[in-house]
Amino acid sequence: MKNTLLFLLTFCILTFCIAQEKAKATLPAVDIKTLDGKTFNTRNIQNEGKPILISLWATWCKPCVAELNAIGDVYDEWREETGVVLYAISIDDTRTSAKVAPFVNGKGWEYIVLQDINGDLKRAMNVVDVPFLCLLNGKREIVWQHTSYAPGSEKEVFELVKKVAKEEESNN
Amino acid sequence: MGYKLQVTSDKHKILAHLHICSLIFLLSAFLLFCSSTSFAQIKAGTGIISGDFSFNAMLYIQDTIIGAQQVDSKVRGNAWLNLNYTNGGFSSGARYEFYLFPLIDFQNIGYRGQGITHFFADYKNDFIQVTGGYYYEQFGQGLTFRAYEDRNLGIDNSLLGGRVKVNPYKGIQLKGIWGIERHNFNFNYSQRNDNVRGLDAEIALADFISKLENKGITLTMGGSFVSRFEKAEDKMFDIYIDTSKYFYYYNYHAISDFTATDKPNVIRCQGVIPSENIPQNVASWATRLNFGVKRFRLEGEFTSKINDPNLSNDYIYKKGEALLLTASYSMKGLGISASFLRADNMDFRSQRNASPAFAALTMNYIPAINRQYSYQLLGNYSYASQPSGQIGLQGQINYLIPKKTKVGGKYGTEITLNYARFNDIRKSFVPLSDTIGTITGTEGYTSKFFGFGKNLLYQDIGFDISRRFNKYWKLMLMYNYINYNMSLQGKNGILKGNHVGFELTYKIKDIHALRVENQFLFIPRKIDLEDKDKGSWCFLLVEYSIAPKWFVTVSDQWHFGNEKQLHYPNAAVAFVNNTTRISLNFGKTRAGILCVGGVCRTVPASYGLGLSITTTF
Repeated sequence: MKNTLLFLLTFCILTFCIAQEKAKATLPAVDIKTLDGKTFNTRNIQNEGKPILISLWATWCKPCVAELNAIGDVYDEWREETGVVLYAISIDDTRTSAKVAPFVNGKGWEYIVLQDINGDLKRAMNVVDVPFLCLLNGKREIVWQHTSYAPGSEKEVFELVKKVAKEEESNN
Repeated sequence: MGYKLQVTSDKHKILAHLHICSLIFLLSAFLLFCSSTSFAQIKAGTGIISGDFSFNAMLYIQDTIIGAQQVDSKVRGNAWLNLNYTNGGFSSGARYEFYLFPLIDFQNIGYRGQGITHFFADYKNDFIQVTGGYYYEQFGQGLTFRAYEDRNLGIDNSLLGGRVKVNPYKGIQLKGIWGIERHNFNFNYSQRNDNVRGLDAEIALADFISKLENKGITLTMGGSFVSRFEKAEDKMFDIYIDTSKYFYYYNYHAISDFTATDKPNVIRCQGVIPSENIPQNVASWATRLNFGVKRFRLEGEFTSKINDPNLSNDYIYKKGEALLLTASYSMKGLGISASFLRADNMDFRSQRNASPAFAALTMNYIPAINRQYSYQLLGNYSYASQPSGQIGLQGQINYLIPKKTKVGGKYGTEITLNYARFNDIRKSFVPLSDTIGTITGTEGYTSKFFGFGKNLLYQDIGFDISRRFNKYWKLMLMYNYINYNMSLQGKNGILKGNHVGFELTYKIKDIHALRVENQFLFIPRKIDLEDKDKGSWCFLLVEYSIAPKWFVTVSDQWHFGNEKQLHYPNAAVAFVNNTTRISLNFGKTRAGILCVGGVCRTVPASYGLGLSITTTF
């Protein structure tokens, strides 16, 4: 066991040495599914240089649904002002995966909904628990990530989205 | 003898000492790591390192009233560190898990140990993906094969081996896998006599037939084949037979010995099912379909498994099969879905002697299809899927009374209706089993495909209504009636209960919110249950949150209908900073079951102080 711990420490120190330059990760390219059951690679998540929000959620997760409901109430405004698009990626497994489409429709959400049925994207993004919200800039770089939801936190999200949208505009 | 004991206790002391040291070490190693990364992704060369860390620890306090036992080491914890490296199409990663002194419920399921439990290297481009090391995979809906991980339940069914995925043409995907399944912390792979291989193909027909697409039709079909190899060994048996009833038993099996017992007519038989009668290769196949036309959708998978005598089915030679079908109709504001599930003898594991009581070594996933409630009081009566035999159905309607209407209000009103039922399957045991007194070694039974068995396992019917009144107030009301067969927890009786409750959210200011949840589960006294399950429950929770960083929660579960009137109070504080969450809680947890996705495990009663740290970087 000592060896393993030593290995870990070495790894940490090595990382520390390498970590001189910080870079932004892009969204991992992983095969997930559309609601039609087709394979969809996350590298196809695009929004013509405008900001993208990725929400990992599940039908059984109350705070996830509360967050998507709260954003849903102001989504039209967000879109108009910043051009942001939200991809709601459900991590529901086979137990509930076939019920995601009727659930989303029942809510009247306008998001693009995808399915990560065996948690492949969740793992590639190192997500521990849902809800998990992630903001990408026009180059699809991850600029901000957040876990858990409390009523009112969508306000901070919008400020960040606006900031990214502005940066993208000035870049173009 | 005394000397031996001395050694053990010394060893124990050393271990306990080591354990506290390791926990501290692990935490400090992690903090060092965090300080070096400042929670941002790291550039290493031209690649990027990312990862996640979670740490759950608890200081256990004995509480004989709720049944929280004294545990041998009071401080226990689970830790997990994942590191991934990505560079273009190449990625690799490793995970370290520290479960040497795990939380007591993990200890109980044998999820105990430490080490590098996961590593992989993976390359992919548009055409091909090749993975070596440990990996997770699911074929279709998973009825025949699913390797997955759920750290909250102590499940990790990853395969150690290789995988190839090919996309030869747009709309077609082929997968091939080979590997040995992870078994908790047993890493002696060289001694393993079992492995798993499989093939899967999927085709999205709408990509080929443009006519379909023009008509708004989508159609995806797939098929898979999975085979398990395990070296066969002679299966010993040792049973008692009533010779007045089961005279012919002698003729059936190779009985090496039989002896008389105290009881008249009863003899003890010992013998062997020779290894040549035990299949080494067990094949399973599945076929699936996902069909959609406009607002209608049908999704289904059927799987079948050839003879697989194993511990879960008492070593019978019957085939296994399972069907999962879901039809749905949905449009904006309305979603209707109906599901059907039947599973018969589909407990499929990579070792035939693996205990069906634990999730370890399971190769497939037979889900429960009832609605998954997040209500505290119903959590303990969640239906646990029975891959060996269950038949059930579920229907659900989600409806949104439109926004800005008289009935719907400014924000609309959401209504959910739900019904679910599960029974066991109807079995007619083969005549031979009557003659010889056991089903072991026979075809076992026959079962009508759509026949509901006599025993109700689970049923629930209910609704919830949720409405936001204005910027500040939101209310949700719920009602459910449930029947839960206590045999799912190894007890007698069927619990019947009415569950009512509300959840009120009050946004005090922009980012300050108060949430109150109050539920009752009324269980009539006349129902015959074990003493500690008798009587109604009440649950109250108050949560104050300051978005996005702070949560303070106080709650109590009160078994007020029971003679003992037990309380299970809890208090928790959580702090969230972007992807890091730190929470501290103090209180009591009742004995029961914890379920995620219909997979459940029992949780003992506990009392103590808990700390949880999770982060993504």
